[in-house]
Amino acid sequence: MDLSFILFFFVKGLEISSPIAFAALGAVFSERSGVVNIALEGIMIVTTFTIVWAAIALHSIWLGVLFAIVAGSLVALIHAVVSVTFRVDQIVSGVAINIFAVGLSRFLSQKVFGQETQTPTNAYLFPQFLGINSMAFLLIPIALIGWFVLYRTVFGLRLRTVGENPEAADTLGLNVYGLRYAGVIISGALCGLSAATLFPSQWISGMTAGRGYIALAAMIFGRWDPVGAVLASLLFGYADTFRIMFETKIPIPGQFVQMFPYVLAVVVLAGMVGKARAPAADGKPYEKGED
Amino acid sequence: MSETLLEMRKITKRFPGVLANDRISFDLLRGEVHALVGENGAGKTTLMKILYGLYSPDSGSISIKGGKLSIKNPKEAINSGIGMVHQHFMLIPPFTVLENIIIGEETQKFGILNEEKPAEKIRGLMEKNGLIVDINTKVEDIPVGIQQRVEILKILYRGAEILVFDEPTAVLTPQEAEELFKTFRQLTAQGKGIIFISHKLDEVLEIADRITVIRKGQVVKTLDGNEASKSLIAELMVGKPVLLEVKRPDVSPGRVILEVRNLDLKDYRKIAVLNDVSFTVHSGEVYGIAGVEGNGQTELISVIAEAAPIEHGDILLDGESVVNWDVRKRRDAGISHIPEDRHKYGLLLPFTLAENLTLGMHHKKPFVNSFQIINRKKIQEHARRVISIFDIRTPSELTPALALSGGNQQKVIVARELSAEPKLLLAAQPTRGVDIGATEFIHNQLMEAKKEGRAILLVSADLDEVMSLSDRIGVMYKGKIIKEFTREETTKEEIGFYMMGEKEHARN
Repeated sequence: MDLSFILFFFVKGLEISSPIAFAALGAVFSERSGVVNIALEGIMIVTTFTIVWAAIALHSIWLGVLFAIVAGSLVALIHAVVSVTFRVDQIVSGVAINIFAVGLSRFLSQKVFGQETQTPTNAYLFPQFLGINSMAFLLIPIALIGWFVLYRTVFGLRLRTVGENPEAADTLGLNVYGLRYAGVIISGALCGLSAATLFPSQWISGMTAGRGYIALAAMIFGRWDPVGAVLASLLFGYADTFRIMFETKIPIPGQFVQMFPYVLAVVVLAGMVGKARAPAADGKPYEKGED
Repeated sequence: MSETLLEMRKITKRFPGVLANDRISFDLLRGEVHALVGENGAGKTTLMKILYGLYSPDSGSISIKGGKLSIKNPKEAINSGIGMVHQHFMLIPPFTVLENIIIGEETQKFGILNEEKPAEKIRGLMEKNGLIVDINTKVEDIPVGIQQRVEILKILYRGAEILVFDEPTAVLTPQEAEELFKTFRQLTAQGKGIIFISHKLDEVLEIADRITVIRKGQVVKTLDGNEASKSLIAELMVGKPVLLEVKRPDVSPGRVILEVRNLDLKDYRKIAVLNDVSFTVHSGEVYGIAGVEGNGQTELISVIAEAAPIEHGDILLDGESVVNWDVRKRRDAGISHIPEDRHKYGLLLPFTLAENLTLGMHHKKPFVNSFQIINRKKIQEHARRVISIFDIRTPSELTPALALSGGNQQKVIVARELSAEPKLLLAAQPTRGVDIGATEFIHNQLMEAKKEGRAILLVSADLDEVMSLSDRIGVMYKGKIIKEFTREETTKEEIGFYMMGEKEHARN
């Protein structure tokens, strides 16, 4: 095993981790505001389609990612309207969006490209760096910015307050609904970056393959913390990279090797029992004023 | 004549089916403590929520320092100089003290938090008011009494002049309550006005300059602190004379029902929470445990009632060791338990009264048949009977427990535990946060149980309650019963002395 192979393993791992990590980072913002965002999977389906569609249509991957961020935010907005304003159970809203996203992406693909399950190849790609999609290198700075925003800014303090005790936030004159909308929309926007790092050269129905859910697991393993969530995503991402690169080289049946990342996820989460503490008001709709 | 800080005139607020506030007028002067008393549901909380902008009144007006205004939300209330310490603290446990104080009033530059300047301001406030807290600790790591200081600092930080305290002493020990009153005096000396909502009439009499009594949404009377007496206030609150002294039946104690022998228990830090505790409770006797909260009372109850494991010692019920029995076996053998936290351990809030009143007996006939299938009719019959005996105010036995007032919820628990006809009743804080009428009722029920020959172990943070109900009193300090008295041979002052851990030879 030479040095360049090891280097490649490390950068490839970063690339494979990125879609999960950006979504996990988004989940942190949503959940710290008190909204469980299981819709991440659906939002990723929409953003992965949008980035390819916009890049092909507008001949620019940069416009593609911009549109993906906007599309992610809009789908998240639906989740916010349904679960924050109308106080529908957040899981139900999220599942509905996930189902809706599958249909919507296929419908649009059929309308725009004449084929339901995949788009043509997109030739407008991000520049490569060290042999991988350069967008993946944004992950570390964005994680640090996320940490800074959450713990060192007024917005972050208020967002966390709303996730812990919306009633207290209300009595302090904070805008509970506004802050929760912000948290959810940030999570949608970050799913735009997930799309940028997943596979922007072509959209295929089902390509997200549950990464939105893995991102939620990573966020829990990362204890609802931006840096923790990204580190957990890296663990899952590198486990997957290991599988991809060594599957054919070890004398264990492939099926077992493929199970590795998922078994790891289960073991890791089981080990977390009693240690992780969700924001106190996470998942609970809040009704303002006169009750 | 001091300046009028606040004037609420003819405030009316109607909820579907209830007139919560009926032309209530209330004012607050600079430098005074104005107590607002009334039974649960009398309309105190509604009035304060209107003041704080959480409700809007149907009619009436509010003026602050002579200027009329309408308060539409808490932000406007804060800006008008109103601060509220809520009964359930509005703190974020995992945040630091500093963060809790500044939320919503942050010092910032380009949205980035500055913690230096607020810290300085908070230190100033702490010194001025004698409210010392480590501002970098997390709130979850500090005791309740100190958490309350954080709440007070929070409203002072916002420059409040009208301070509302909603039952602030409900969660405090007598000593902490004294500290709080010291703070009250310091604040009023600075020209602030305090609205003090409380059930505890002794405290109201001690601290209030004026006392406004409300009942069923109306002001009954505003009294001068000097001209008021406990029985007068109680009568105005309830609408009829109230017996503040409990009538104790003359029962001579029978055989030993509960015997606790040399109990030892350590907590996870290996600190002794129960230390060689031994005592007995006889049938027809009330044994009261006095002590500042957190000296092992909770643990003592939990090893007897909840089968929490012990390290050493023995617990005998009617001569038989129960240490290795699970909770059901203990209950079936005749141990009943009124838990100190009624919401957490006493009730299933969304369940109906019928279900709540059967809990713990639900597996026995006649509530189930031989195949353990629940007989709803029997459960409801039982509930209706108990509801009428214990005078539980509820629309029906199918009402969920959460719809009842605190006093009635507590009556549900007392009713359930006594209807099991126990040999031993463990009563932990049986009247905490319960209004006068329900307290009187619960006390009478406990005396009734004593008359029937049941053994009662009473734990209460309210020393008056321990003194008035108990035949014998054990004072608990640092996990040990350091002194035992019969009721006749001691005084409140003497017990208070032992509660602070003083040794006998230190007295003179």
